[in-house]
Amino acid sequence: MTTQMRFISAALLYGALLGLTGCSDGSGDPSAQIGPNPVLPNLQQYLIPPMHIAKVIGWKKGETPSVAQGLKIEPLATGLQHPRSLYTLPNGDVLVVESKAPKAPAPSRPKDIVLGIVESWATSGGQTGPSNRITLLRDTNGDGVPDSQSVFLDHLNSPFGVVLVGNELYVANTDAIVKYPYNAGDTKITAPGETLTPLPGGPIDHHWTKSLTASPDGKLLYVGFGSNSNITENGMEAEHNRANILEVDRDSGRFRIFASGLRNPNGLTFEPQSGALWTVVNERDEIGPDLVPDYMTSVKDGAFYGWPYSYYGQHVDPRVKPQRPDLVSKAIPPDYALSSHVAPLGLAFYTGTNLPESYRGGAFVGEHGSWNRQVLNGYKVVYVPFSNGKPNGKAQDVVTGFLDGNDNARGRPVGLAVDKAGGLLIADDVGNTVWRVTGSGTGPSPAARL
Amino acid sequence: MTTHDIYDERIASTAQIARHPIHPMLVPVPIVCFIGALIADIVYALTAQMMWANFSAWFLVVGVIIGILAAIAGLIDFLSNRHIRALTPAWLHMVGNLVVLILAIFNVLIHTRDAWTSVVPTGLILSIVTVLILPITGWLGWTMVYRYGVGVAR
Repeated sequence: MTTQMRFISAALLYGALLGLTGCSDGSGDPSAQIGPNPVLPNLQQYLIPPMHIAKVIGWKKGETPSVAQGLKIEPLATGLQHPRSLYTLPNGDVLVVESKAPKAPAPSRPKDIVLGIVESWATSGGQTGPSNRITLLRDTNGDGVPDSQSVFLDHLNSPFGVVLVGNELYVANTDAIVKYPYNAGDTKITAPGETLTPLPGGPIDHHWTKSLTASPDGKLLYVGFGSNSNITENGMEAEHNRANILEVDRDSGRFRIFASGLRNPNGLTFEPQSGALWTVVNERDEIGPDLVPDYMTSVKDGAFYGWPYSYYGQHVDPRVKPQRPDLVSKAIPPDYALSSHVAPLGLAFYTGTNLPESYRGGAFVGEHGSWNRQVLNGYKVVYVPFSNGKPNGKAQDVVTGFLDGNDNARGRPVGLAVDKAGGLLIADDVGNTVWRVTGSGTGPSPAARL
Repeated sequence: MTTHDIYDERIASTAQIARHPIHPMLVPVPIVCFIGALIADIVYALTAQMMWANFSAWFLVVGVIIGILAAIAGLIDFLSNRHIRALTPAWLHMVGNLVVLILAIFNVLIHTRDAWTSVVPTGLILSIVTVLILPITGWLGWTMVYRYGVGVAR
């Protein structure tokens, strides 16, 4: 009898260990999930979801990301403090939004403690000096090397989006759109900001980046902000006015929901040819290495894109209670999948002439990189060709090498912008660098353009 | 089952503080935690209020941590005394509670999922099964103490 008991005990222990140590995550080919009709596998739920965090090691002196043929890359500014987004002013000055996540709330369950530790691996490295400010880069002689790098606007609250309309500079802090006076050539703003519209911020503030752009005529602002959870695990109340893009009247600050169900919309930008508003969106986690593809999409007025009730159109997410079949029936699929967990945070349409012909008219996307799959995905800048205002063709890798050969992150791309000379700028938030990509040019020097 | 009465032998506990065995000091914590987790899971399943799922997740983690400590103390008593190993209820008590701990560890992981499926249905089922085993293994534990005098001071 006792040997039998021993055998049962050993079998139970062995079974438990086997169940706890997951194996490979069985992820498929990410390229099957790029384009208008991604392949969606069946939803899976895990005891321990597949996780692989690229450890941040930073850039050694002289190291740069790699670029596709016909391009070159150089650091435009280094030694920054978590640069997350970029904006080019009409006089060619570049604003670098340096921003850190707001203080995390007290853990509501044990998982929050574990995730907090895991996340700190992915964002550690680099300096920990003062952030939450905007730095101005000025390149007076147009040689691609800034002559000055100075603090333009300080003491902000986890800022992300910036847009200039006339003489008014709007900054999307994590809790409000704030308006500042700006005159061409200013290198510092000291005037106190004026709150235009409050935005949903803390105390949870799970997705804290507030993306901002203005309509081409400058009358309206569009601000995007993400959900307050992965998939409503902080309670439905926390999701009030979350995962939306708002349309804000610039004069009065009044707003309405322009589009909803967008889990974490960033990179709001107007597509130059069609005049449509576009965004890149981070979709939900923990239902598989190939679910759900992150995407870019034109944003239709009044449209519902599914979060939290469904994904990629009307694929119901069983984790949400109560379910809302009435809303799911209205959910529309987005335009273009970028593949799962790549974490797109930056979007820039390219209308310049500095880069080779093949990069004109389409969109660059900054992919911050995955954590929720074994095989890392993203950690690069891709180019999606467009024609007639719509994506036309597969995304191509443009800037890579943010990972070293051993899945360590030297940097991670976030926000993108195009400078006055037509160079593509990339904010690298853990590499604390702004990169500038230009045509390697066999013809006339791209710097000789002014 | 052999029913030789060894009540008078009064088997000593090895993991003890001043002849107070550690194992019975610790076991109430996981028992209460797993019952608390079941209650919280039931209320969550009825209300879908995340607060209850969060309660359950804390209960389970604390229950598993203290439960492992209780298991270590119990295992020390079990392994270091052949008189205890000779008791059939001791084996059943150990295996039963090992099953409880393994189920609870799985339940902790199920409860790390987000929102509804962190509880319904798998988490709730595991909580029910865990709590159903507890009175059986508890009975066996009491058998060891009250009938065989395990850990009872001379």
